[in-house]
Amino acid sequence: MTRRVNGCSGLLLCGGCGLTSCPHDLSLPLSKFTWTRGPMSLLQPAIQLQHTTEPLPSVQEELQFWMDKAVAWGQADSPDTQRDTSLHLRRLSSYLQELLSHINTVRSTTETMKRLPLLGQLLGRLCWNPHVTADDTSRGLLFQCLWGLYSEEPSDAVERKANQWIRRVLCQLSTEEDDAAAEKLMKRMGVPPKEYHLKVLTKMVAVLQENIGKSCSSLGNINQRCSCDSILATSEVCVPLVSCPEAAPLIGALLQRPATCVRAALSEDFLEALSSAFSRKVLSLEDQAVVSLWIHSLSSLEEAVLSLLESVLSSKGSTPQRMVQQVSQSLLPKACAQHCSIFLVVNDIFRSTLKQSEGNNSVKSLIQTFTSCFLREVALLQPQKCVSLKAFFPQSPQSVLVPLLTLPSEMPPEAWSHHLNWLSSSLQRLTEEEEEGEGRSSTRGHQRVFEAWFLLVQCAHWVQVSVQLLGTNRLEDRGPLLWLLTFYHHPTNRGHHRDLQLVQAGEAWLHLHALFSAPPHPAPADCQQLLVALLSPGPQRPALCPSLVFSLLLNFAVFSHQPLSCSTQVLHTVVRRSGLVEEAACALRSLELRLSAGSCSSSDATRVHLRIEALQNTLTHMQAAWSPAESQTHTHTL
Amino acid sequence: MESALRNLSSSVELLAVAAHSGAVDQWDDHSLSSAFDWARYCEHLFSRFHNNPAVRGAMEEQLQLTNGRLRAAFPGSTEVSFPDLSRCQHHLLIGLLNNPKLPISIMKLLFDSNAPADSGCVDVSGLCSRIIQCKSACKVLSPLTPPSAVGADAEVQGGLLMERLGALITHGRAEHFLDSVLRGCEGAAAEHFCLVIAAALLTRTNSETASHEVLLDWLLKKQPSTLERTCSALPTARLMDLVKEHLKFRDAYRDVLKKWASEMEYSIGDGEWVQSRTNPPASFQKLTEHFQALFETCPSLRDDVEKELNALKISDGDFDVRGLSVWGDLLSELHK
Repeated sequence: MTRRVNGCSGLLLCGGCGLTSCPHDLSLPLSKFTWTRGPMSLLQPAIQLQHTTEPLPSVQEELQFWMDKAVAWGQADSPDTQRDTSLHLRRLSSYLQELLSHINTVRSTTETMKRLPLLGQLLGRLCWNPHVTADDTSRGLLFQCLWGLYSEEPSDAVERKANQWIRRVLCQLSTEEDDAAAEKLMKRMGVPPKEYHLKVLTKMVAVLQENIGKSCSSLGNINQRCSCDSILATSEVCVPLVSCPEAAPLIGALLQRPATCVRAALSEDFLEALSSAFSRKVLSLEDQAVVSLWIHSLSSLEEAVLSLLESVLSSKGSTPQRMVQQVSQSLLPKACAQHCSIFLVVNDIFRSTLKQSEGNNSVKSLIQTFTSCFLREVALLQPQKCVSLKAFFPQSPQSVLVPLLTLPSEMPPEAWSHHLNWLSSSLQRLTEEEEEGEGRSSTRGHQRVFEAWFLLVQCAHWVQVSVQLLGTNRLEDRGPLLWLLTFYHHPTNRGHHRDLQLVQAGEAWLHLHALFSAPPHPAPADCQQLLVALLSPGPQRPALCPSLVFSLLLNFAVFSHQPLSCSTQVLHTVVRRSGLVEEAACALRSLELRLSAGSCSSSDATRVHLRIEALQNTLTHMQAAWSPAESQTHTHTL
Repeated sequence: MESALRNLSSSVELLAVAAHSGAVDQWDDHSLSSAFDWARYCEHLFSRFHNNPAVRGAMEEQLQLTNGRLRAAFPGSTEVSFPDLSRCQHHLLIGLLNNPKLPISIMKLLFDSNAPADSGCVDVSGLCSRIIQCKSACKVLSPLTPPSAVGADAEVQGGLLMERLGALITHGRAEHFLDSVLRGCEGAAAEHFCLVIAAALLTRTNSETASHEVLLDWLLKKQPSTLERTCSALPTARLMDLVKEHLKFRDAYRDVLKKWASEMEYSIGDGEWVQSRTNPPASFQKLTEHFQALFETCPSLRDDVEKELNALKISDGDFDVRGLSVWGDLLSELHK
């Protein structure tokens, strides 16, 4: 699949990172979940309602069907008719949408009434059916049909009558009171009908909510009746009420009721209606109820994750702080911490997105941010509710799991180097095993490497530490760190690409080391040129990932002790010649976020901060000076 | 004060224009919003001054003047009284929706179901849509509520009654208010009011003991026929709740039962005791059930009541033959 994110084609063109578009390299057998939609299909227009150009006869035929239904619903108010209405609500909305299109196309009410003589009756009956009018969508569509039939300039008796009827129906619906005695009393007490009805609704919801809360008494005896019998019925009745704010406590209670009894199942239509309302963002539930919804309905969970992906990927140039905010607000990290199964689903979606986006940096950033929010939530949970972290990462290589999950802040900075050496060699060993086993059990081997890489993406804080160390120390054995960095950006070694890129990374480091030492070594111009050359593909070698180069460059620039003007000059030149201002800006923001989380000593902090600011200014000026088209052209020519 | 009266007058005129004048066809969403703001203002005037006789009097006078003017201008217009002000927005809405000259664009605004709920100044947008949603939701949920409990609507009405009483007690107008409510009730409405009174007496918020006392005293001492009506209209379970909750009611209820018994006559043709009064008649069977329920709920009462019944039986001649003394027959039924 080669879908593109709407309007953000630039983000997916990461030509240099080496992930080929061939699915075989990293093909992972699809998890046991089958997606209702692929991750990128979110961004295609959702075809919920059928806007067809079907000829008139089928609208007429369906009219008779719905007419019969409406009559049946109006005759008896039994639980069966209620259930039937809830079951048909979605289809009814689709049909009303078709009717509306038809009415708006024909435009003349007289003509419409001639073609669909029963239309008025149908609409009238539906207007008086509370199960239909309680639901936002069908109520809205009904009203729109009525407006469609209203003629501003009635041309004959039919249209005049229609106008009168429409006004009357709407007036009666809003102002007529069924219970005359109650209305009289309310009038005498000076209580407006709106306030009264609202209070009655709130009271009913409270009573029903209390009933739901009562625990099941049957204790597993399947033959014994229990209070759970009403759960299914209640959930069916609540289908039209999913977007009614006053009903939210009841819906929340239904969702959060512990599923201990076999009878306490929720209606499928109810879950579907909730899911649909959730995706339209008209659901007003408390946080815990939303988490419960995700447990009940896989499609609503998928929807939530895809929606987060879309909002993050489409907000171009947003800060890392903003991403953290978006992730936290989505409630997903909290839900993942509470329920292992949710975390597994989310990660499967992330894996899939990562592969389809060919290792796009924003996706990687999101995965890292998400995982760190998740770990924070896990830490906040009560100790007795804590599940071992291994349960959350069943597919990751266990040998490196805990070391990777450990945060840099949890160990003294002196230990980082040693830790990273260990990590690097463990991962190297893993990839070597896979490469040796090529041909024999290659799929499994590929999978192990992918999982190791995915875990590294989730725990990219260590990659950032290694970049920082590379940028600050005159390391003699920078080998393992460079390997780790290269692996992060170029995980596949097809055609020994990664080996080549490792060599190039080494070269890049050397150039940078030369450029940023104080005083700079002779011939800085050459170094810059060589560096820029590494960013574009050359004969028989792929390009080095810009993020890799820029993160190294910026770490050098920030921690170097040479004059600030020199560093900004270098940055300016490299960015200008390569045209990759966005990638540079992104890398700088990540660096800033990481440093603001406090990983350098306070004496250095001010100096570092000033340097970061200066570098940011340089980039901002360059971004402003260049039009988006220009920068994209540059990207394309790489 | 002057400006308040002026504003009141203008608002009432506005109501009349909304309901009867063709001028509404010039209204836009701003004028609509503004009209509802004035209606809200009137509601505020009511809640602020309805217990203040001086101000209220002045406002009532002003209303009379305005009504007179409006009657002349719009022959079909209804008068607006001071109590009507408490539901001013509702009046405005009814007037608008019944006015054939109301532009369809205004109606669309009122019925727009995409408007976000509770967004401050855009209160009018989707107003009717929300009302319909609320009413429909009540109808959808009502079959689910357990049938044995007091209905949600009766409970709410009872609660509102308690609130109103609470506000009026401090001004000594509670009984006057209850009288006027009762005056407006006939037939089915009167029976409904009995249900509401019962629900009111059973509300459990702590702050309502004073209101309970006032309501109970009014019912038991001032309104015997309403009391009787309550006793016959309510289901037994509800009566027993009241008996448990209020001692005074228990005693009054017992007296009502005795009264009913004393009014019974033996019909030889039917072979049964019947009540000659028509309002509303309780059968002997029902009467026995009432007593039995009472004894079950309050066992301590049993001995005393039976002693009373026995005394009455003796005063009737102390016969054990059926049909001669209602008290004797009652006792024999109760001892079965």
